[in-house]
Amino acid sequence: MHKEKAIKKYIPMTETMFFILLSLQQEQHGYGIMLHTKNITNKRITLGAGTIYNSLSRLEKDGLIKTVSEDDRKKTYIATKLGKTILKIEAKRLIELCENVKSLLEE
Amino acid sequence: MRTKKIVFFSAFKRVIPEDFENWLEKMALEGWHIERIRQWSSIIMIFRKGEPKKYRFVYDLRAVASKDYISTYKQFGWQFLGQMASVNIWRMEYKDDRPEAFTDKDSVTGRNNRTVAAVSISFSIFLIAAIAMAVALIFFSSGIPESDRIQLIIASVFFTVLAVILGCVMIYIHKGSKQSTR
Repeated sequence: MHKEKAIKKYIPMTETMFFILLSLQQEQHGYGIMLHTKNITNKRITLGAGTIYNSLSRLEKDGLIKTVSEDDRKKTYIATKLGKTILKIEAKRLIELCENVKSLLEE
Repeated sequence: MRTKKIVFFSAFKRVIPEDFENWLEKMALEGWHIERIRQWSSIIMIFRKGEPKKYRFVYDLRAVASKDYISTYKQFGWQFLGQMASVNIWRMEYKDDRPEAFTDKDSVTGRNNRTVAAVSISFSIFLIAAIAMAVALIFFSSGIPESDRIQLIIASVFFTVLAVILGCVMIYIHKGSKQSTR
């Protein structure tokens, strides 16, 4: 997928897509993504099997992630260059949001 | 004591995925279990009496699934019960937190939209059949023998009724999915 098109489709990003892309900075399989996300969100987010399967299919089709290895039980993925770029764009947007609400908490 | 329970047209009575899941869960809580889902399960299902169990069921309609579909679910601890039409049925035993396979709005609406799409294909087929028969009756009735004509009328009424039912189902699921995402 073209960068501009991917920006339009994925930004702002849902939490599901955000944590999947973040987990896939390293090689992971579906279940690993769920564990990693649960871990870094202090159990706030538990991604379900159907949600992960749908999201991985969509991200792979759009070229944000790619398959690294595949045996009959597990398929592992990693973020592509495009996937990393999109996640960084989203990260910048999130930081901007943080800056904007900071004053609210300082009062 | 009865050890078997036979249920007809279970999937047609509960066309909304959530309703079907909750119904299977309620049956399992009462000790009625089904170990295998087959193509004809939407028409006839045979439950066997056993220990009451807390199971979460998942209804997932998918026309095409890549080969890691099954393995992804299994990794998460889901047990594959089988497929009826293009609907995959999954089951997981639980104690406190009810497990979910679809954990965001997008995938719940996605699942419901796939169901609506499948229903609308059958809706179109029945509607086209009903219209074709009505056209045949109106324009070519003189060429059709009396006995065939009655059969054609009955069939056309039957297909119209089915098309109307499926139409209502589509609207029903569509409304349901809108509410659940609100």
